[in-house]
Amino acid sequence: MMLPFGLLAQQISVIAQTDTNSIRIGEQIKLQLTATLTPAQISNANFKVAFPVIPDSLDHFEVVNRSAIDTVQDGTRHLLHQTYTLTSFDSGHWTFPPVRFEVVDASGTPDSAFTQPIGIDVNTVAVDTTKAFKPIKTVQSVPWNIWDYWIYLAIGAGLVLLIGGLIWFFRRKPKKAPVVNVPTISPYELAVHNLKALKEEKLWQQGDVKQYYTRLTDILRTYFENQFGIAALELTSEELLNNIKPITKLNQQRDKLRSLLAIADLAKFAKLQPTPDEHEDCMKKAEEILEWTRPPKVEPAQETKSENH
Amino acid sequence: MENTSTDIRQLNEKIHQASAFVDLLNMELGKVIVGQRYMVERLLIGLLAQGHVLLEGVPGLAKTLSIKSLSSAINAKFSRIQFTPDLLPADVIGTMIYNQQKNEFVVRRGPIFANFILADEINRAPAKVQSALLEAMQERQITIGDTTFKLDEPFLVLATQNPIEQEGTYMLPEAQVDRFMLKIVIGYPTKEEEKLIIRQNLNPDMNTAIRPVIQPGDILEARKLVREVYMDEKIEKYILDIVFATRHPEEYKLNKLKPLIAYGGSPRASINLAWAAKAYAFMKRRGYVIPEDVRNICFDVMRHRVGLTYEAEAENVTSENILSEILNTVEVP
Repeated sequence: MMLPFGLLAQQISVIAQTDTNSIRIGEQIKLQLTATLTPAQISNANFKVAFPVIPDSLDHFEVVNRSAIDTVQDGTRHLLHQTYTLTSFDSGHWTFPPVRFEVVDASGTPDSAFTQPIGIDVNTVAVDTTKAFKPIKTVQSVPWNIWDYWIYLAIGAGLVLLIGGLIWFFRRKPKKAPVVNVPTISPYELAVHNLKALKEEKLWQQGDVKQYYTRLTDILRTYFENQFGIAALELTSEELLNNIKPITKLNQQRDKLRSLLAIADLAKFAKLQPTPDEHEDCMKKAEEILEWTRPPKVEPAQETKSENH
Repeated sequence: MENTSTDIRQLNEKIHQASAFVDLLNMELGKVIVGQRYMVERLLIGLLAQGHVLLEGVPGLAKTLSIKSLSSAINAKFSRIQFTPDLLPADVIGTMIYNQQKNEFVVRRGPIFANFILADEINRAPAKVQSALLEAMQERQITIGDTTFKLDEPFLVLATQNPIEQEGTYMLPEAQVDRFMLKIVIGYPTKEEEKLIIRQNLNPDMNTAIRPVIQPGDILEARKLVREVYMDEKIEKYILDIVFATRHPEEYKLNKLKPLIAYGGSPRASINLAWAAKAYAFMKRRGYVIPEDVRNICFDVMRHRVGLTYEAEAENVTSENILSEILNTVEVP
């Protein structure tokens, strides 16, 4: 252990001391710079001390790290410390040079204080030249440690908890009762109702033959669309007659429908005025087609029974 | 003046009698033309509705034979113009030539001075020639030098386009294409039809000459009756709905067509659809138009009047696809 050396300048003591004076090449040394101030110096506004700035590299020494200046109260004195970490890569005996503290005394006069030089031995590694050279060691694996992965384990555990929590939440949520769509009115009933309304309106009796046949065919076309899924409203009479072919029940009424549509087309597009008998006959035909293609009624009791089977 | 029920009955009767020549024509043409009834029917529609026909089909589908035979059956003058890149307007409409003996310019009429014109491969000629023909089609008159000549009636142009070879052609602009009442697309005959075609061509006894069954004057009379064919307000509305659906598909719940259509049918489309529907009703020997008539000729009247966007072309959507969608959505009266 080296003893501290100091120089007094205006009653200020500055010391440079190392933790060792002998290192192996590349080892580090702690160099502590200390300035000791009296209470009178501290209370004086003019008095100032500036620590030396040691460059990163100086003869045979490299600065690895430098600390901030620390203040320590020692009885009535103030000690200012700064620690440098130094190293050397040159073997031999080297002297760390004196460093200069800049001081401004109570009267404002600038002055300097120097530390003592420090001798340091940098020893090289002893090599047994009688032994053969050994190859460079391969990369060494670090032993597995659970704490190296704790963050990933924590995220995984958190996700498992979150998913579990969501599943639990949605399972616990009461299921909505299924909405039962109770059909208000069937296509057949709608068509029957509309035919009845058309009759009551007495359109042809009032001379509005065109409107009578337009409504009559529209009722039938809407019924075909809703009941059999034929896009009848977008089809011409001939196309409609072709499209009903696959629907056996409806196709059985083909001739009736053809005759009705033919008269309706004449009334709608050729200003033909069919006779009252023909008006009545067309209405009758429409009703017959509806009745023939009426879907069978399903009894609720039978439905339950079949469900049980 | 509004037609009454009795008027319609009388008109229906009159048209039923007057349109009898259509069957005669079909019978006569059937002697030499196998299949292609569709093309002949469309030619007649063009003839009766004072329109012209643009035909798209590969070579060798009896286009020339059809129009030539139709011309012979009507006892009309036929002319064929092969459009080539070096054709000049004067080669089509005619020109003034100098007569040295008389020391004056005289008019030499071009091949357009006929009743039936076959403009073969119209897209092979440059725009100047196409424009001269299309102007004549529209105006039905020709000006050579200082003299204007009225073209003979009936006047029907059947222009053809080859859909396969597009290199070195001059595409007809939309405005020019719009002048054709119908654009028909014809395909190959069926196997049975082609068998008959072979036999007919190989057997000299089967080569029958077409004899005139009607006169051009009869066609002009028939045109007057076509004009009289009754079209109800409901049918007019149906026609307008179809044409407007090509312009504003979103108003007919056809939003998906909006990005596919660059432009819809022009007012000329509505006019031609109405005319062609009337002519078709006449050919079906009816004095009134029904929705079937409109639907039947809709594709031929509209297919060249619906412009497609790049998006539609990229998705291989054709104007026929768009029209089908429209016809399946617009309510029939």
